Amino acid sequence: MANISIGPLRWQAEPSRVEIRQSGESVRSYYQVTAPRDVSSMCKGRPVEELPRILSILSASHHLASAVTLDNLFGVTPPPTAKNIRDALVQSLTFIHHARKLLFLLSSSQNPFGLRAELAVRAGTSPVAHHVLDEIGHAMALAQEAASILGGRHPHPLTAVAGGVSRPVKEIHYRRLAEIAESSLPYALRLRDIFREKIIGSGNGLYELMDLTVSPIASITFSGVEDAIVLTGADGSGSTTFTANKTTDTLEALREPWTHLPFVHVKGKTWQGPISDQSEGLFFVGPLARLNRCKPARTPQAEEERLHLVNSLGPAPHFSAIAAYWSLVVEIIQASEIMKDLCTEEKLTGLEVRTIASNPGGQHAHGALEAPEGFIYHHYQVDERGIVDDVTVLDAASENNALRCLLTQKMVEDAFEHGKPWDRAKKTIELSLLPF
Amino acid sequence: MTRKNVAVFTATGCKACENAILDIHYQVSSLARWAHFTFWPYVLGSSWEDLEKSDELDVCFFAGAIRTASDEEAALKLRQKSKILVAFGACAAFGGMPGLSNLHPGGESALCKSPSDDDCPELPPLRSRVAALQQIVQADYILPGCSPPQNYIWAILQSLVCQSESAARISFAASRLPQPIAQAVMAGVLPPGGSIFAGEKAVCASCARIKEEKRFESFKRIHQIDPDPGRCLLEQGLLCQGIATREGCGGLCTGAGVPCRGCFGKAGAVFDPGAKMVSAVSSTFDTTDGEEMKKIAEEFVDLAGTFYRYTMPAQCALLQNRKELK
Amino acid sequence: MNVFEPRIITFLCNWCTYVAADAAGVSRLTQKTNTRVVRVFCSGMVDPSYVIKAFAEGADGVLVGGCHPGDCHYIAGNMKAWRRSFLLKKLLNELGVEDERFRLEWIAASEPHKYAKVVNEMSEGLRSLGSFRSSYSCPSQTPRDHEKAVQSSPFS
Repeated sequence: MANISIGPLRWQAEPSRVEIRQSGESVRSYYQVTAPRDVSSMCKGRPVEELPRILSILSASHHLASAVTLDNLFGVTPPPTAKNIRDALVQSLTFIHHARKLLFLLSSSQNPFGLRAELAVRAGTSPVAHHVLDEIGHAMALAQEAASILGGRHPHPLTAVAGGVSRPVKEIHYRRLAEIAESSLPYALRLRDIFREKIIGSGNGLYELMDLTVSPIASITFSGVEDAIVLTGADGSGSTTFTANKTTDTLEALREPWTHLPFVHVKGKTWQGPISDQSEGLFFVGPLARLNRCKPARTPQAEEERLHLVNSLGPAPHFSAIAAYWSLVVEIIQASEIMKDLCTEEKLTGLEVRTIASNPGGQHAHGALEAPEGFIYHHYQVDERGIVDDVTVLDAASENNALRCLLTQKMVEDAFEHGKPWDRAKKTIELSLLPF
Repeated sequence: MTRKNVAVFTATGCKACENAILDIHYQVSSLARWAHFTFWPYVLGSSWEDLEKSDELDVCFFAGAIRTASDEEAALKLRQKSKILVAFGACAAFGGMPGLSNLHPGGESALCKSPSDDDCPELPPLRSRVAALQQIVQADYILPGCSPPQNYIWAILQSLVCQSESAARISFAASRLPQPIAQAVMAGVLPPGGSIFAGEKAVCASCARIKEEKRFESFKRIHQIDPDPGRCLLEQGLLCQGIATREGCGGLCTGAGVPCRGCFGKAGAVFDPGAKMVSAVSSTFDTTDGEEMKKIAEEFVDLAGTFYRYTMPAQCALLQNRKELK
Repeated sequence: MNVFEPRIITFLCNWCTYVAADAAGVSRLTQKTNTRVVRVFCSGMVDPSYVIKAFAEGADGVLVGGCHPGDCHYIAGNMKAWRRSFLLKKLLNELGVEDERFRLEWIAASEPHKYAKVVNEMSEGLRSLGSFRSSYSCPSQTPRDHEKAVQSSPFS
């Protein structure tokens, strides 16, 4: 019987580590988030209109999800320009989010801050030249500039308010946005090429993870059409739809005593704990979940890439690490193409960006958003003065928590079986968790 | 010039501060010429053993609030190991938004459950109150902001890591800093200990909105009005904390039409941000009648959660170090 | 056993309440001895931060005494104090300071009896309310590892 602790894990937004309990032939891993987010204690007692800014600490997209919830609470519809501004913000956040993950993937075996000279010496081991990383960094910097124009600040945006956005896009800003949109597509395509060459082409870009797949599990996405949330079955068919206001009736969060991050699963279906892939209630969200809906991508070049993926890996659903990373590439192209579409004068400029709520607002409201990291959901309960009594927030981290535990267990078992040193096991765990 | 040993760590918080370091444009990779990142769990996957094995750290950027016992341990370890410790971002500097839970202490018991079976690993115990880094160990410099703006990240890197060997962006970074820090940055020496890498005055000094000394008869909430773009938000009846907050952001939020919430902490001359705000807001009441004053005051909601949004643990004079609330 | 003696910090206007307090003493009115008097030139100069600091430093109650509305030596100083008092009370309340602990009273120079009455009332009220437990101190002086921290700092 031995206890092993690996951590802190790289690239995880939550402070996390893996605890391993080994006795005889069996090994059990615990993917442990060691500090609470505890957003409810931050939100309770605050005026409800402050929530977009408070919840943005979860991720920038929670800022937008919160604004959508406020729209519903006050019964206001944002003007089209405001919707476009918010949508453009989602696209630039998607670009940043996915590019960061790809940057981490490409630099996983090297120190991205190592000296160039050092890198040259180790050129044989590092798959990606330093200037490539610089290039991705530059593309991200541009997308950040777009995000801070649209959101007022990055990485914690602040412009989305109930009924729209707080200020129109000025002409000078609009022009810059158009420039950025114009130049981000070539970057996305360049990333695609790098991905094809370094990860798929070389055949070992993902090291031991090239063949990693988990057993089929269901996935959840938000279609955005009439608030429909789609639960796609594990085999890719049998999708069921429910509306945002039914989310808490359909999904349930469960706490385990050994982690601060709850496990979200489908209510009323079997749940056999976080490391069992046999639970019917298990699901995941994110780019791969969106890919598994088998819908064509929204834009031509992204669709081309998606078809390339389908041709190489077979039709969706996919549950492999390579498909998860590939879906990031598909979406980053899609995000830049949509940005290019959105950043036209008539779509982004215009002084009418806010609808002021005429009524005092309801007592509770729901909001859902398909964020870069996956489907997210907010529910607020407020008193008659608009003070928050209770909040429910489903974030991608807790929705994918079970999947993360599964992946961790798989990698730990694998390492145990092949007698891999634990520091190498740590790297494979980190790489397997990154795209989800 | 030898490269400095640098560490970056986040206790309890989001990783926005660390991402902000990554995000200082693509020049971040050029940092490698001056900095040797010895300990950076988020990006390099360094473990605590790596830290123990490494030499003394020259600079440590510590982000995030102190919430758990292991955060506290990390703060002590990194303090011991580093020559210069920087409280990086609002959470480390003042406790940040996680610190709001200090208003209702006791909520943590719901979070901390005892393990059901004996074999499963334990979580580090939660502290009864969230603390800022400064309340655990002494920090040498403070970089406020949620997350800190790029120019100040540059400024602090320039002055602590590069010691002005890099010409890039130096004047840009220094131009907005208080004179003693700016001079130190330019001269390549360490700024005075305890320096805050931000402006000296209040946000109002850099906010472009015009103040007309107008008064208001009722308090507004941001979803209720579309504020006039050129005029002071406070004078339009919105609670804006610019007047009690340290400048440095350049009026980012007010420029976007959203009131300031004080992520840079209190301004130099302010004793307590809440007290300053009470005095500033009350002075705009347009009445001399007690009943009316009472009526306006009653419209305000959640003063404590607004005035100390980012600073509850470290700058709320009344709650600082208080053992328990009744 | 020690009987709890509340500490009340009083900010008294030089032109009215301070004179009333003086007169109360001269006329030998019975008053509780829990007050610590700070003479100020106008109730309008008592910034909310004085009040908060008093509580943070361990006061159990704060009394601000000023001239009746309309009688201010500086025309409208007391109106300023009055305007602030409502929001201040609200903020104090949210931070766990009970309403009874902070009072703003109009006491003219000719009202020593009122002064004595207010002080006695407040002292009695606070006695039953108990101590406002606050251990305010400068944070850098309390952490247990402060010494260690200082040693490893280049600026010690």
